[in-house]
Amino acid sequence: MLGNLKGLLLTLKVMRREPVTAQYPDPSKRLPIDKRFMGFPALLWDNSNDEPFCTGCMVCVRACPTQCMSAEMKDNPKFADGTSRRRKIIEKFEINLSRCILCGICVDVCNFDAIEMSHEHELSKFERNGARAALPQLLAMGKKYQAETTWQPKQPEKNLGKPPEKPATAPQPEKVGGVVTS
Amino acid sequence: MMLNLGPQHPSTHGVFRLVLWLDGERIVRAEPHIGYLHRGSEKLCEREDYTQIITLFDRLDYVANLNGELAFCMAAEKLMGLEVPDRAWYVRSILCELNRIASHMLFYGVYGLDTGAMTPILYGFRERERIVLLFEAVTGARMMHNFIRVGGVKQDLPEDFVQRVNKLTDELKRGIEECDQLLTNSELFLARTKGVGSIDGPTARDYGCTGPVLRASGVKEDVRVSEPYGIYDRFEFGIPVGSNGDCWDRYYIRVEEMRQSLSIIEQAVKQMEPGPIQAKVRRIARPPKGEAYVRTESPRGDFAVFLVSDGGDKPYRVKVRAPSFANLQSITHMLRDAYIADAVVILGSIDIILGEVDR
Amino acid sequence: MTALEGLFYGLGAAGLLVFLSGTVMVLTWLERKALARIQLRMGPMRVGPHGTLQPIADVAKLMTKEDITPSWADKRVFWLAPAALLMPALLVWVTIPMARDLVLRNLDMGLFYVIAVSVLSVMGLVMAGWGSANKYAMLGGLRAVGALISYEIPFILAVLGVAMLSQSMDITRIVDDQRSIAYIIVQPLGLFLFLVAGLAELGRTPFDIHHAESEVVGGPFVEYSGAHWAAFMLAEYINTFTVAALVVLLFVGGWRWPAMPGDGALHTLLSLIWFLTKTYFVILAIFWIRGTFPRLRIDQLMAFAWKVLVPLAFVNILLTGLVLYYDLGWWVLTILSLLSLAAAFYIIFGRYGSRAERMTVRVYSTRELGLKPAVRPQAAPPPDGSPVQVDKAPAAGA
Repeated sequence: MLGNLKGLLLTLKVMRREPVTAQYPDPSKRLPIDKRFMGFPALLWDNSNDEPFCTGCMVCVRACPTQCMSAEMKDNPKFADGTSRRRKIIEKFEINLSRCILCGICVDVCNFDAIEMSHEHELSKFERNGARAALPQLLAMGKKYQAETTWQPKQPEKNLGKPPEKPATAPQPEKVGGVVTS
Repeated sequence: MMLNLGPQHPSTHGVFRLVLWLDGERIVRAEPHIGYLHRGSEKLCEREDYTQIITLFDRLDYVANLNGELAFCMAAEKLMGLEVPDRAWYVRSILCELNRIASHMLFYGVYGLDTGAMTPILYGFRERERIVLLFEAVTGARMMHNFIRVGGVKQDLPEDFVQRVNKLTDELKRGIEECDQLLTNSELFLARTKGVGSIDGPTARDYGCTGPVLRASGVKEDVRVSEPYGIYDRFEFGIPVGSNGDCWDRYYIRVEEMRQSLSIIEQAVKQMEPGPIQAKVRRIARPPKGEAYVRTESPRGDFAVFLVSDGGDKPYRVKVRAPSFANLQSITHMLRDAYIADAVVILGSIDIILGEVDR
Repeated sequence: MTALEGLFYGLGAAGLLVFLSGTVMVLTWLERKALARIQLRMGPMRVGPHGTLQPIADVAKLMTKEDITPSWADKRVFWLAPAALLMPALLVWVTIPMARDLVLRNLDMGLFYVIAVSVLSVMGLVMAGWGSANKYAMLGGLRAVGALISYEIPFILAVLGVAMLSQSMDITRIVDDQRSIAYIIVQPLGLFLFLVAGLAELGRTPFDIHHAESEVVGGPFVEYSGAHWAAFMLAEYINTFTVAALVVLLFVGGWRWPAMPGDGALHTLLSLIWFLTKTYFVILAIFWIRGTFPRLRIDQLMAFAWKVLVPLAFVNILLTGLVLYYDLGWWVLTILSLLSLAAAFYIIFGRYGSRAERMTVRVYSTRELGLKPAVRPQAAPPPDGSPVQVDKAPAAGA
C-alpha cells in the first residue's frame, strides 16, 4: 500500500506546480526558436548587390531526398552590364513545402550560400496546393530570416555578387572541390 | 471468439494488428499481422546517396533517430575503413545516449497508459521535452535530426552545450526519480506486470530477441559490452539484467538504463576534448565495393545494418535488422495463457516501434 | 396524495433534475481541470474564462451530434440502454438529503432504498453491451456485470456497518447521530470499504476495466454518440456525485459536524453549502485517485472484491457488533478498525515481498562483464583495389 500512497503524494505535490503547457497563439509563451532550428528552406538575398544569391545550379534540387524542388536559371542581365559576378541567376524556383522533410541537405550542398533553413515552421494554407512556394514567397521568407537573424554568407569572398573595383571581365568564382565543410 | 486488436487501436503502439482467439477472457491463440507501415525504405536506399539515406534511417526507428543514423554511418565507415575522430565519437555517444533516455521516457509514458494510469505519459513527455529542446539546439531539429554523417557529425556542438547538458542531467535525475515513484512500486502496477508475459532466456534467444527483452530473461547480452563500438570501452556503466523475464523486469530495466545513460553522458562530457568533428571524406561518400555488417545497441535492442556497396555513390543493398521485428515474434510465446488485458500490457512491454518493424 | 403535494413533488423533482444537471456540468469541468493540474497542463481554457463554459459547449455538441445506430444492433435494446442506466441514477436522489429539510421524500428505510435502486444500473450496462453488436462492447458489458455485482456485497455490508452504529436506516437519523463524532473516526475500515466499493461501482480508475480506453476502447459505450452518449455521461457523473454524497452523509457527518448556526432558511442554506463543500472534497479525492493509479485486470478486480473486501466487511460488522454489544467506547472501534485495516494491507500487499524481493533487476557493471576494447574500423583499404572483405578480418582488436 505504501507504493500506492507514495504515488498519491507525488501527484499531490505535482498539482502545486505551474503547468508546463501554454495555449497556442499566446505570444508571450512561445518556445524560443533556436538559432540552428531547421524550418522550411528559404532563398537568401544578396543585399550588397540587390539580387538573389541563387544561380539556379540545381545541386540542391538533385540532392533533395524527396525531390520537392524545381528550378530554372536564366542569363543574368546584371552580368552583361558588369554589375554582378554571377553569370546566371535564378528565374523560377518552386519548393513543395508539404513534401519537404526539413532535412537541411539542400543547405549542406549549396555552393553559393543561396539557401538556408529559415525559422518558418507553421504551414497552414487554405488552398489545397497552397504549400507550393514559388520564388517570390521563398525570397520573402529568406529576407525575413535575414532580418531576424545575423545571417552572413559562409564564403563571402566567393559568393557575394558585387564585382571588384576593376570593371574588367568578372572572374568566375573559384569552385572549391566537393569537400565537406564543418 | 475471434477478436481483432486491429490496426486502429489506441494501444497497439502504431498500426499493428493482433488477431486473438479467445475463450472468455483467456487468449487461446494469437496471430500478429504487420506490414501496415511498410514504406519500402530498403528499396528507397538503393536509389539515394549516402547523405540522403540518413534521412531514411531517421524515420525507421522514429523515436531513437540518432541510433539508427549511427548504425548506417558505422556500416559505411567500416566499408571505407574510415577513422572517425574522437570528438565526433564523443558527440555521437552523448547524443545517442540522450536519445536512449528520450526513447525510454516515451516507453515509460506509453506503458503507464497501457496499464491504465493516465499521468505517466505527461510526466514522461515533460522529461522528453527537455531532451528534445537540447537536440534542437545542437542538431537543428527536434526529432528527425539528420545529424550523424559518414565520417563524423554534421556540425560541432554549440558553445553553451556543456553547461546545458549538466543542467539537463540534474533535471533528468529528478525526473527519473519522480517517474519511478509514481509507477514502479505501486502495488496496482505490480499486480498488472509482475509474472505477466514471462519468457525464459533460451526461448527469448531462440526467437532472436535482443535488448531489454532479452536482458529481462536473465541473459547478460548488450552489444555495447560484447562488441563495443566507438568509444564505449572508455566508459564505465552498468547493464541492468532481470531474472523473471516478465513485464515488470522489462519495464524496470528501461528505467535503470536511463540512469546508466545519464552516467555515460556525464563521463563523456568530462572526457570530451576539442578537435575535428569529421573525417576527411568526400561530400557524397563512395565506399569501395564490399559488404559490411554493423551492430549497435539501440534502445530497443540490436539494431544492425548490412550494407552492400558496388563502389558507386548509391548503395547496392541496405538491409536493416530491426530489433522490434525480432522481439515482436516472441509475443505469441508470451501471450500463451494470458488475458486480453494482459495482451496490451505485454505488447507495451516489448516496446516496439512499427517504423522499424515494417520499414 | 393531494394536488398540492403532487405539485410539490413535481416541482421538487424538476428542481432536483436541474440541480443534478448543473452539478454534472460542474463536475465535468472540475474533473478536466483537476486532472490537468495533476498532469502539469492547463485543462480547458478557451471557452469562457478558464474554460468554465466548456460544459455548455460540450452539451451543445452532444445534443447536435448525429446519433448513429449500428446497422446490426438490436435497435430497441440499443436505444433503451442509456435510459436504463440513467433512471436508477436519478431515482436514487429521491431520498438523499442535502440538508435537514432538503430532501424530496425522506424514507425511514432510506439506505435500503438507495442500495436497492442503485443495483439496477447494471442492467443498463448489459443492455448497452449486448445491443451494440460489437465484440468489444460485449466484452466490456460482461466485465461490467461481473465487476459491479461483485462490488455490491462490500458496498452493502459497509452500509450495514453504519446502520448498526446508528441503529437506523434513515439517512437523516444517521447524520443527526454524527453530531458529536463522525463515523469516519469511529469506523475508518467502513469508510475504506465504502469508498473502494463505491469507486468500483462507478467504474472509475482503478476499477474502470470495463470501459478501459486502452483496451476495449469504451467497452459498452463504444458505439454510442450524440445524445445517447450524453445520457451515459450524465449517469456516470450523477453516480459519482451520489457516491460522494453518500460518503459524506454516512461517514463525514453530512451537513453537521459541526452543525451550522442560524435557523430556518439560513440554517438550511449554510448546511447545504457545508454539505456541498465536503462532497466536493471527496469528489476531488476521487479525481486524484483517477489521475494516479493504473487499473486492475478484471480477474484481479473480482478477486479483490471477493477475497479481500468481503472478509474485511464481515470483520467490520463483527467489530461493530462487539463494540455495541459490550458497550465499549467508540474509540475502541477506531483502534480495532485501524488495526484490522493495517493487518489487511500488510497481508494483501505484502504478497509481493519486501522491496528487496521485488527488485528482480540487478545492474552488472561493464567491468564485471569484461569489457573488450572497441573495434574501430582499420585505416586504409587494400591498395590493389580488391573488394574490402572487412567481415572476414579477425575480430580481436582490429
